[in-house]
Amino acid sequence: MTFLELSRVVFSYPRKMKPALTGIDLSLDKDGVTAIVGPNGSGKTTLTKLLIGVLRPTEGEVRLEGRPVEEYSLAEIGRRIGYVFQNPDLQLFCSTVAEEVGFGLANRGCEPAYVQEKVAFYLDYFELTAYRDVFPLYLSQGEKQRLAIAAVLANEPEFLILDEPTIGLDACRKKNLEDYLKKVARLGSGMILVSHDEPFVDKMAERVVTLANGRIQSDSGRKVNAAYEA
Amino acid sequence: MMEAVTVQSLTYQYRPGGPFVLKGIDFQVPQGEFVVMTGLSGCGKSTLCFCLSGAIHHNRDGVMAGEITVNGKNIREMRPAGRALEVGMVFQNPDTQLFSQTVEDEIAFAPENLCLPPERIRERVESVIALLGIAALREASPYQLSGGEKHLVALAAVLALDPPVLILDEVLSQLDSAGKKKVAAVLRKLHGIGKTIIAVEHNLESVAFADRLMVMENGSLIRFDRTETILADRDFMDAGRLLYDHKIFNGVS
Amino acid sequence: MKLDPRTKMVMAICLSSLALLYDTPDRLLLLLAATVALLLLFRFNPGAVWGYLKPFLSLMLFLFVIQSIFSPGGAVLLAAGPVPLVTSQGLSTGASVVLRIMVVTASAMLFTTFSSRDFILGLVQWKVPYELAFMVAIAIRFLPVFRDEMINVVTAVQLRGVELKKVPWGKKTAMYRRLFFPIVFGAMLKAQQLAVAMEARGFRAYPRRTYLRRLDLRRADYMSMLLFLSATLTLMGADVMVK
Repeated sequence: MTFLELSRVVFSYPRKMKPALTGIDLSLDKDGVTAIVGPNGSGKTTLTKLLIGVLRPTEGEVRLEGRPVEEYSLAEIGRRIGYVFQNPDLQLFCSTVAEEVGFGLANRGCEPAYVQEKVAFYLDYFELTAYRDVFPLYLSQGEKQRLAIAAVLANEPEFLILDEPTIGLDACRKKNLEDYLKKVARLGSGMILVSHDEPFVDKMAERVVTLANGRIQSDSGRKVNAAYEA
Repeated sequence: MMEAVTVQSLTYQYRPGGPFVLKGIDFQVPQGEFVVMTGLSGCGKSTLCFCLSGAIHHNRDGVMAGEITVNGKNIREMRPAGRALEVGMVFQNPDTQLFSQTVEDEIAFAPENLCLPPERIRERVESVIALLGIAALREASPYQLSGGEKHLVALAAVLALDPPVLILDEVLSQLDSAGKKKVAAVLRKLHGIGKTIIAVEHNLESVAFADRLMVMENGSLIRFDRTETILADRDFMDAGRLLYDHKIFNGVS
Repeated sequence: MKLDPRTKMVMAICLSSLALLYDTPDRLLLLLAATVALLLLFRFNPGAVWGYLKPFLSLMLFLFVIQSIFSPGGAVLLAAGPVPLVTSQGLSTGASVVLRIMVVTASAMLFTTFSSRDFILGLVQWKVPYELAFMVAIAIRFLPVFRDEMINVVTAVQLRGVELKKVPWGKKTAMYRRLFFPIVFGAMLKAQQLAVAMEARGFRAYPRRTYLRRLDLRRADYMSMLLFLSATLTLMGADVMVK
C-alpha cells in the first residue's frame, strides 16, 4: 500500500530563479528501504523535507496515506515518521544526552520506568552510555550524529527518513547502524535513506531513486536485496 | 628535510583534573608529506587537529601540555591570527565556519586578511574557484547551500589562505562521489606542489594514496606507518574495526 | 536607484533623528510616508516592514494605551466619573509613540537594501576600525540565521511528537523554558566556533586589511546626502524656533 506519495511536485526556494525540484512523481510503500542518491545540491534533502511537510510544494501535492500532508500537524507526522536531519546540531535541544533520547517518549506520556529502560537500551546500542549526563552539543561530531539517530529511533516511528546518516560515523559505528536499521526494516518499518555513501547504500537499499538537477533521473523499483533474505 | 609539524608528549584535558582526551602523543611530519589520520569517533582526532591549528587556545578551561611546533615555530609563542599564516584548518562542521553573504566574499576573506592588493586577491579567488569547480556557486549565499557544497566552500576559503600546512577534519565525508574524486585530485595536486597535509578520514578508500597513515585509539597514537603497510596488515585493520567494506582493499593485500 | 550604502545610512540617520524630535502624529505620519516612499524607491517591499513590526504589535498597542491614559491635557473624551481616562492630548501622544517606532523600524530597513559586504566596505572606508565593522555586520547577518535556527529547533521538537500548537499555555511556557537554556547555550557555542574559524583564516593577523572591491561615492550620492542633511537640519531648526 502506498504510504507517501508526491505527484507532479515542483518546489522553488524563495528568491531563487531555478526550482530545486521539478516534475517529481514518486510513491513509497509502508515497508522497504529506499535510497535517494544523487550529486550534492541535486535536491535530495529538499525532497525529504517536502515529505514531512516542513517545506510546502510550490506546485503539486504530497500525500501521507492518501491525505494531503498539510492536513497533519508536524507533531502528528513526527509521531509516524522519524526524521533524522543532516546536521545533528540543529536537532539536539535538550540539556543532557539521556534527556535527548527520552524526550519523545516522555512527552508522549510513557511511564518513567519504561522511558528509562528504553533510554538505557539506545544509549548502550549507540555507545553513548558514558556521556549520558553530558550537554549534547559538547559531543564530537560522530557522537552527535549517533545521538540524533538514537533520539529518533527511540520514538519507534513506523517509518524513517535519514538524511546522510553515515556522515561522521567511523566504519564500525556504520556497521552497527546498518545492522540496526536492517533489523528495523525486517520488522516491517519502511525507510528512506538519503546518502551518497555507495557501499552503505549497496548494503541497505532495495530500491534506488537517483536525482539529478532537481529531477528523478532513474528509479530502480523495488528489488530483492540479499541482505533481507532469510 | 625540515619537519613541518612536530608534536612532543602532547596531552590535553578539557578541564583541569578531567580525563585525558589526548594521552601523550609524539610524532613528526616532514614538509610535503600527506598524512591521513583515522580512528573510531571520539578517539581524539578532532581535538588533535584543534591543537595543531592552535585553535584550542580558545577553550580557556582546557589544559594542554607538551610541545607543538609548526615549521620550526612553537605554536604557543605565535599570536592566534599569526598561526593562520603557518597552518590552515578546515573544520568538521561547515555551518560554524561560513559567515559571508556570498561564496565569493567567503573565499576573498582570507586573502583580504593577508593585506594582499585587490588584483592578487582576485587572482587567488579565481584560481581556487577554478580548482574546485565551484564557479556556479559564486554568487550564492553559503548558508543556503547543500551540505556537500558547504564543505567545498569551506575548503575553498582555506585554500585561498594558501598556508604551507593544511589540516582537514573530514572534508570528504559530505561530498558525493564526483566531489570526493575532485577533492582527492585537488589534494594530490597540493601534495604535488609541496604542501604538508594532515587529513582526518574514515573512508580510507578515497585517500589510499596518502604517504602515511596515523591511527588513533582512545587518545593515543597507536600506529604511524606507510599507508600500504598498514592497509596490508589485515589483522591490525580488523582488530581496530577500521574497515567498513572489506571488498575495497582486496587489491591491496 | 543605486546609491552607496553610506548614503543610505545617512538617510536612515536623518529620518530617525527627525522621528525622535517630532512629537505630533501629523508630522510623524508625513515622515513615515516619506520613509516608505524611499523604501519603494530602493525596491524594498514595504510588506516586509509589516512583517518585522507584526511581532511587536501587542507591545505597540500596550504603549499606545499607556501613553493615552497617562498623558493628561486637552479635551476629555472619556471619563470614569471625575477621573479623566482618555484625553485628546493623550491620544495624540499615544499615536506619536507608535508612529515613531514605525518610522525608526522602516528607516532601519534601508540597511537591508545593501549587502553586509557593502556595509563593511562603507564603514571601513569611513575609517571605522574593521573589527568593529565586521562585528556589527556579522551580528546583523546572523539575526535571521538565529531566527531560522529557532524555527529549526521548534520544528525538531514537533517532529519528535510534541503538539506545540495545541498544548495549554502553562505547559507551553514550561516547554519553552526548558528549551531556552540549551538553545542559548548552543548559540553561544556556535558564536565561539565562528570566531575560531575567522581567526583560523587570518582575521586580525594585521592591524590593517585590504578589500577585493571598493566603493566610490558618486555625484548622486553627494547630492542625496547634501539634500537629506540640509533638509533635516532646516526642519530641526524650524522645530526649535517654533518651540
